Amino acid sequence: MTDKKENAPVLVIGAGIAGIEASLLLANSGRKVYLIEKTSYIGGNVIKFEEVFPNMDCATCMIAPKQQELLADENIELLTLSQVEAVSGAAGDFSVKIKQKAGYIDLVNCIGCSACFDPCPVEVDNEFEEGLTKRKAVYIPCAGALPNVPVIDTENCLRFKGQDCQACQEACAFEAIDFNQQDKELELKVGAIVVATGFSMFDINKTSQYGYKKLGGVYSAMEIERICASNGPTQGQITLQSGEAPKSVAIINCVGREEKGYCSSVCCMAALKLCHFLKNKLPELKITQFYSDLCIPGKAYQQFYQKVKESGVDFIRAEVTGVSESAKELAVKYKTDEGKENTLAADMVILNPALEPGADSAKLAGMLNIPQSREGFFSEKEPDLTPVATAQDGIFIAGCAQGPKDIAETIAEAEATAGRILSRSG
Amino acid sequence: MAKRLGVYVCECGTNIADKVDIDKVLAAVSALKDVEVADRYKLLCSGDGQGYLKQSITENGLTHLVVAACSPKQHETTFMKVCEQAGLNPYLFQLVNIREQCAWVTPDGEEATDKAIRQIRAAISRVHYHTALEKKGMECNPDVLVIGGGIAGIKASQILAAPDRKVYLVEKTASLGGKTKRFSKLFVNMESGPGLIAGEIERLQKSKNIEVLTESEAEQILGFLGNFEVKVVSKAEDKEDKEQNFNVGAVVLATGFELFDAKGLPQYGYGTLDDVYTSLDFEEMNLADGPTQGKVLLKNGQPPKSAAIIHCVGRAEKGYCSKVCCLYSFKFDRMLQSQLPGVKIAHFYSDLCIPGKANQKFYEDTRESGVEFVRSAVTEIAGGDKGLTVKYETETGAKGDLAVDMVILLPAMETSSDARKFAEMLNIPQDDKGFLAEEHQLLSPVASAVEGVFVIGCARGPQSIAESIVQAEAAAGKILSALVPGRKLELEVKTSQILESFCTGCKTCIEVCPYGAITFDEDRRISVVNEVLCHGCGNCAAACPSGAARLKHFTFPQIYQELKEVLR
Repeated sequence: MTDKKENAPVLVIGAGIAGIEASLLLANSGRKVYLIEKTSYIGGNVIKFEEVFPNMDCATCMIAPKQQELLADENIELLTLSQVEAVSGAAGDFSVKIKQKAGYIDLVNCIGCSACFDPCPVEVDNEFEEGLTKRKAVYIPCAGALPNVPVIDTENCLRFKGQDCQACQEACAFEAIDFNQQDKELELKVGAIVVATGFSMFDINKTSQYGYKKLGGVYSAMEIERICASNGPTQGQITLQSGEAPKSVAIINCVGREEKGYCSSVCCMAALKLCHFLKNKLPELKITQFYSDLCIPGKAYQQFYQKVKESGVDFIRAEVTGVSESAKELAVKYKTDEGKENTLAADMVILNPALEPGADSAKLAGMLNIPQSREGFFSEKEPDLTPVATAQDGIFIAGCAQGPKDIAETIAEAEATAGRILSRSG
Repeated sequence: MAKRLGVYVCECGTNIADKVDIDKVLAAVSALKDVEVADRYKLLCSGDGQGYLKQSITENGLTHLVVAACSPKQHETTFMKVCEQAGLNPYLFQLVNIREQCAWVTPDGEEATDKAIRQIRAAISRVHYHTALEKKGMECNPDVLVIGGGIAGIKASQILAAPDRKVYLVEKTASLGGKTKRFSKLFVNMESGPGLIAGEIERLQKSKNIEVLTESEAEQILGFLGNFEVKVVSKAEDKEDKEQNFNVGAVVLATGFELFDAKGLPQYGYGTLDDVYTSLDFEEMNLADGPTQGKVLLKNGQPPKSAAIIHCVGRAEKGYCSKVCCLYSFKFDRMLQSQLPGVKIAHFYSDLCIPGKANQKFYEDTRESGVEFVRSAVTEIAGGDKGLTVKYETETGAKGDLAVDMVILLPAMETSSDARKFAEMLNIPQDDKGFLAEEHQLLSPVASAVEGVFVIGCARGPQSIAESIVQAEAAAGKILSALVPGRKLELEVKTSQILESFCTGCKTCIEVCPYGAITFDEDRRISVVNEVLCHGCGNCAAACPSGAARLKHFTFPQIYQELKEVLR
């Protein structure tokens, strides 16, 4: 290999936990890293979780030091609101075209005081909060998001709809709001690329039997994650739309598993975590889990399951055939392996969906010229021997972009991409 | 030399200035001892603000600096850099957080102002007692010791070795390849295990920078990240023991797994009934160089017409799911079917654990091939004249019997017996299941609690081959990132120290140190801090009953002076 290849900068796509870890290791070795992220914040899906299994660590507290380290690292150039537009070249000498959308906030002048939010007259659903709460057209997704710099959403901002509004600009004491910012095109020269674009959740709207978005009291697991979050829409208060705390909850696992054709690895544990969390907050809550096969692989997870089970959670091995409204409650209809049919009443239903590849995976796979698996995840070069390499020399994958997995496995893969990139063994 | 203190209050736009009466603050602190300058600025963290601060430090010949602004998380390093640029030691500086801790949380303006004055007086009082601290670097050895020559150890060695980084791969048996080389087929793609290992060993042998030591064991490892001293003893059968000593910068433990001993559960008849095998026995049977030359045969020499595969043997006893057994059991189905067309196979299982994108299809194909899956607990394997009988009970309590020719048990995976040896040698914790514990289960899965020692593969829990390789590459990533040949290791500045004359040798500090940074000097009968390992957490300083352990930059006088003013 040439010297140029050995010291060439690295492009990391996606600033979730995998992208952050890979960037930190590469930068610490002395490499220049470009970390690009399509949203305005770093931390990906993990920062949406109040607590993570199996030790019930506070997720945001857990990764905050890594986020701070990343933002302070002089070898890492973070480009938020950015996406890959085109890739050419080969290992050691890639040329990558990046489009960075204007956020209309000056990163240097803004101190993140949030004085611009209140005067903004626009209110729209906050996507980060699964639409459970509103945000302004100038906003940060949630309290504590990093970098602590808001962004203007041009789809909803009155000024970008042709009206003469400058309420946010007037409220800013630092002249940080700049309506004249333009989208930027950047051309980066890098030696290697790490794809860490994470996952999306299976769209429950594709199912009809669970009454999702039709019946009050039916939630997705991610909605519940945000309801549990102390920085979320209810400040961590677990309530139904009526404002009352639920008395009984049914958790339905494997939503979308059949459609997707694979087990998403982490959902059983995520459901057990929710049980643990809910029981802690509402000790009288009656929880029933509907499941087919319990997937709790590895040395640490069974103990967690046993603890949850002992706390009084019921486990019913059955297929849920429908959720309907009955009087004040919801009725969960199910069928066991032996064919017995039954109904359970609950006032809250949580649907635990499959994990699927990020929405832009196919487009990115095309640009990078790397194959996707049958399921749409990025494919490894050889599944056993080179689990973080792709068919393209110099392009690596880490985390849920490759397939569903937990945080520890994601971190290990991110570290492995750094190992492959920094290795000089050829 | 006389002290000349500068005190600067940041207005933070309107964030601080709107709440705190900064002029009143300045009036209250400008006359304090040794305060040379007290001034305000609109936004000290801005480029202009930093320039102003730097110029003011130089022009006023300041010896100490206090900045009252935002959280240290936000701008402490910013102002420390300004100090360095102005030629002032950055540890002669104290940041006061009058934004998050005062302006933003104290509703009343007067109270906020009073609070800000107290906080700043405390910092002024404290900074008088600061001493200049210097950053230190340490030469490090980039070489690596890898223990265990299975697939994880082989892959870690391959990726780490380079012209300026030697790898010692130590394997206690006579050959490399670990368990993988005894797996005739690997899930899910049914490639050959021995073939895979042969290819990897060939790659390994091409590297001039890997020294393979077979029939060898590491007997002693002493030291810390960047500087371990290793003693390896080679014990080849027909040769004299040979001792080798060398230094490395990091250690990778890849000691692999063993199977739970199925003899411990007599109901399965393992060791007492013919034709009851463990998964590893079955793997051996399928190898061309195995006891039956690769043929699946019963003890009587006949091929079996039916087989039962029993999952989760020892799971209840071990208390965890071994993750890979379901998947390799589907591999067994294919191995049986390819040799014995028409063979009847039944799996006895509780929950199928087939996580990940590719594995459900592997299962579905198995099921479609006619393999039967019986969700139930096996209560007994009974022997008899006509073969074996599997007695089972379903979840709903229904009981059943199945007659089969052969039984294959899938026992839980355990950490190898070497884990304890290295846990003790290196002071690495084992979890309650015996596996070597991670530094942080989620965030630092391949590092151990001891800096510079890494744990990969089945030594840290049941893993697939792909996962073991990921972890091998991950440990390599951590090592390549931290130990760069020719680069010094940057050490923590705010470390602890133990004053010899105060230390009574009670060893309390050693017990409370989470980094293993304190050792006991038997000659002098005192504790000694290794500055390379110390993270400056302060546990020892808080616990020391004789005041001998002290943390730089958090000395008792510094903390006392600060508290005294806050509480005045």
